[in-house]
Amino acid sequence: MLPVVIVWNTLFWTFERTTWQYDLMVIAILAFVWLTPPDWLFDPMANSPGLIGLLGTLTK
Amino acid sequence: MTFTGAVGATFLLPLRAIIAFCVALRIHPNILTLTGVVVSAAAGWTLAIGEFRLAGCVMVLANIFDFIDGKVADRLNLSSRFGGFWDSVMDRFSDLFLLIGLIYLYASLGRTDYVLITSLTLAFSVITSYSRARAESVIPQCKVGFMERPERIVLFMIGAFTNRMAAVLWVILVLSVVTVIDRIYYTWRELQSER
Repeated sequence: MLPVVIVWNTLFWTFERTTWQYDLMVIAILAFVWLTPPDWLFDPMANSPGLIGLLGTLTK
Repeated sequence: MTFTGAVGATFLLPLRAIIAFCVALRIHPNILTLTGVVVSAAAGWTLAIGEFRLAGCVMVLANIFDFIDGKVADRLNLSSRFGGFWDSVMDRFSDLFLLIGLIYLYASLGRTDYVLITSLTLAFSVITSYSRARAESVIPQCKVGFMERPERIVLFMIGAFTNRMAAVLWVILVLSVVTVIDRIYYTWRELQSER
């Protein structure tokens, strides 16, 4: 039941700014923006592979 | 204090000095709002030519004007209903300038996929604001959904400064769609409960 509540509260957003829920959402968004390799999104402008892309090339 | 609260408090310190400066000069808040829109148009142009870091700097400047106009109005006792209306309308122009700049950039690169994504982001950004404004004409308040204008603007700046605009557009698009659905559902629920 808890996962359903978490998903519902994330989608149906009623939290104010400067709450811990807002902080978590901001961290999740920043993680997506900064960690997703631009190639995965076919980014027309990015010129670096990003952290995950960099780790991927290092471990090859 | 939360992480985002601490970040907000840090940025508030220099803004207080700028607000005090504008109050001392008795600059009319509507002029500040208009200046912010003109600077946003410049930010849109810098995005259009692919100068993302410069665009980030210009966006910071534009949003200083956007942030301080209401505070200056309060301090100068110039708050008015027209000022609120003017601010809201000018905000829509600011949003549109940024996204049109990106559409121009992606079109000039021949990237129709990102022209489409940016166009959808533009449409849902406008509908996000419109849905709340229209909802609040039939119910007292419709403050639901994550992706409001401050979040959009901060994300644009992050995307510009760190050259991750594609990821930012995806985030804004998806969360704007969710926000519009939230607002439609919330308004429907509130109106049902009134019956």
